[in-house]
Amino acid sequence: MADQDIALMAHLFRRAGFGASRDDLEAYAAKGYEATVEELLNPETQPGVEEDLMLRYNQSFRESNQARDQQWLYRMVNEPRQLQEKMALFWHTILCGGNTKIDSGYEMHRMINMFREKGTGSFRDLLLDLSKNPGMIYYLDNSESHKTAVNENYGRELLELFSLGVGMDEQFNYSEDDVKACALAFTGWNIAPAYPPFPYGRSQWQFRFDPADHDDSVKTFLGETGRWNGDDIIDIICKQPGAARFIARHMYDFFVADEPPVPSWRQTPPRDMEAIKTLEKAYFDSGYNIKAMLRALLTSDFFKSEDVRFAKVKNPAEIVAGTLRLVGDHREIKPGLWEIAQECTYMGMNLMDPPTVEGWHTGYEWIDSGTLVERVNFASEYLGQTDLPGVQSLVNHLMALGESLSPAQFVEGSIDLVGTLNLTEDTRQALVAHAQEGGDLRHGTEADRAEFTRRAGEMFQMIASTSEFQFG
Amino acid sequence: MSTHFFGLKDWNFQYSHSLGRNEFGGTGFRNPVDMVVSADDVVYVVNRSREDRPDGVRVTMVTLEEDFIGEFGAYGEGDGESIWPTAVALDNEGNVYIADEFLNRISVYTKDGDFIRKWGKAGSANGELDRPAGLAIDGQGTLYVTDSRNHRVQKFTLDGKYIGTFGSFGSEPGQLNMPWGITLDKDGLVLVADWRNDRIQAFTPDGEWQASFGSSGTGIGEFNRPNGVAVDKDGLIYVLDWLNDRVQILNPDGRFITALHGEHQLSRWGKDKLLSNPDMIEQRALAFTWDQGAFEKRLSDPCAVKVDDQNRILVLENTSGRIQVYQKTDTPVLV
Repeated sequence: MADQDIALMAHLFRRAGFGASRDDLEAYAAKGYEATVEELLNPETQPGVEEDLMLRYNQSFRESNQARDQQWLYRMVNEPRQLQEKMALFWHTILCGGNTKIDSGYEMHRMINMFREKGTGSFRDLLLDLSKNPGMIYYLDNSESHKTAVNENYGRELLELFSLGVGMDEQFNYSEDDVKACALAFTGWNIAPAYPPFPYGRSQWQFRFDPADHDDSVKTFLGETGRWNGDDIIDIICKQPGAARFIARHMYDFFVADEPPVPSWRQTPPRDMEAIKTLEKAYFDSGYNIKAMLRALLTSDFFKSEDVRFAKVKNPAEIVAGTLRLVGDHREIKPGLWEIAQECTYMGMNLMDPPTVEGWHTGYEWIDSGTLVERVNFASEYLGQTDLPGVQSLVNHLMALGESLSPAQFVEGSIDLVGTLNLTEDTRQALVAHAQEGGDLRHGTEADRAEFTRRAGEMFQMIASTSEFQFG
Repeated sequence: MSTHFFGLKDWNFQYSHSLGRNEFGGTGFRNPVDMVVSADDVVYVVNRSREDRPDGVRVTMVTLEEDFIGEFGAYGEGDGESIWPTAVALDNEGNVYIADEFLNRISVYTKDGDFIRKWGKAGSANGELDRPAGLAIDGQGTLYVTDSRNHRVQKFTLDGKYIGTFGSFGSEPGQLNMPWGITLDKDGLVLVADWRNDRIQAFTPDGEWQASFGSSGTGIGEFNRPNGVAVDKDGLIYVLDWLNDRVQILNPDGRFITALHGEHQLSRWGKDKLLSNPDMIEQRALAFTWDQGAFEKRLSDPCAVKVDDQNRILVLENTSGRIQVYQKTDTPVLV
């Protein structure tokens, strides 16, 4: 099997999933790129994570605020439907709601589950569900928006951060009057009274449309006039060129290469306008279908290009889940995952609790002196544990390269297996220099195997400590 | 309440009261997973809590009238501690047996919670355990353990000596798939919640298969991952139909009689909690007006069912941290 096939498959799974083991990459490469993309795009063809088992051992997952990131991390690591799970993260970074305000693990999971289930369908359906999502209604104060006292928060963020963005091609996508009309249209979209957390736990929130609290007046929104309700507003949004541009740029940023921050999109053109146009066309040709956009993206030359591989700084969830998948830990349900899930927070990404509705600042902004130490320490700690099944597998692959490996062969093999193929020549030479201190590696005797394994674990740790490991 | 004709009697399952509330310590339960009632009406509730709050791992002792007696046990691997406690049973002397499905061991305490001993070894050979999930003790001092990931039931003496085993992985009669709850009827018949096969199976004490009932689904007599089973002195079978959020009551041959869905009313500890949080009283009142109490009444992730000699049926709820108590009565049918 060609190394470039494995490298491309590794790229696909870093972006469209949370990484894959060497064995899985080889199996997918044998299956073929197009077929693998189709499998990712059609999660219903794969068995999902075994929810009954997950709940059996963690019954608190059903309601706990605190276990929310633990549960999601478990899914990222173990969900066979990797793209579906990655899309849940994608939408969570854009259609932001946070637990600090919502304060309900159940509602946060309901929101993420909506992204999981609707994240590759129609953008219209997704926005409609989002607008009826009780957590979002509360998070952006639509529960405080009334016919006689309008709160514009949801209406504004729906346009600015969830669907159109401020502008494109140096033009504005909407006006202040459009914000007001949008907010008026969503009056009456509210939540039914819910039980408090004490003494038996919160009840599940329910969407409630209150016609008496809805402004039914004639409104003009994005140039169209009528007695618009919230669903009419979403219909009008979805047919805007700005909606296609907004999703296309977010997709490019998340899956292909880091884009400049969203607030600058009105003045700053996309990094690759041709790619964006391809995605916009898929959006309109398919009737706003996200899966069609993903298919266009994942099968495109601009996605497969070697120029964009390792061009993205991994987000903390990718670091944590990707490392666990590589080393094969927590692939069965056992204690200890909650503490690991907190690593995402230490690295700057408190899952289900973004800092603001704007979400996280991504790309190089993931890295500062504190988070970099966390990222390096986490990955190197796990990659050095040679008793973990995934690490054992890497060592076995390395041993299979030959009865005796020179330091240079050992380093190249390790780099290939850990998947950090973007190492600079200086870094490679430094690793080879270190390996040369121990001489050639053999595994013919038990003592040799033990020493080989020790040195392999050490080399994996060193690779995980390179700056290049931070890119995916 | 529901009344059902059964032979020459009408069975009546009347909601009585509730006990408990959500607490990490003291007067309440936190993500409880199992319970047992002693001869003197003390309920031992096993609290699993959750990973970020290991302080909530403990056994709470409470009377059926909701008087707090005490608690014992803690999170950890030392004597008397647990990581993933999952089941509880009492022997004739009232000693308390707790299974830990992560540590693969059984810990034994006095009825007051003083640690006595522990035993158990991880593995799949005879006498070894892989995630013990359910416990039951017969009158002769035999401890039955559902050894869930070995898909079998194992029998031990009370000090952990291996006696025997039955069951194997599969879905044929007598085979098991990750069994969970287990109970014994008055004649010693062993009933097992065959969790991933969505059925209850009955065996003789020697493991000879007697009957299976139930299938996957949400209809009557169908189960979605049943995790607990109890039998009363008349032979009625109570199945904790876990993911269907209900208790199904079956007659001794497995035919459906009725189901319990919950009729909760504020427990004493629940009232105390509300009285110390006035803002919650107002929130609760609004919600209660909206749904007429439907949310609070219904079983909320029920996880264990027990029935005692006085025909009191206890249903433990995981996320709401409470127990709903029903009373079974019977009256002769007038023909």
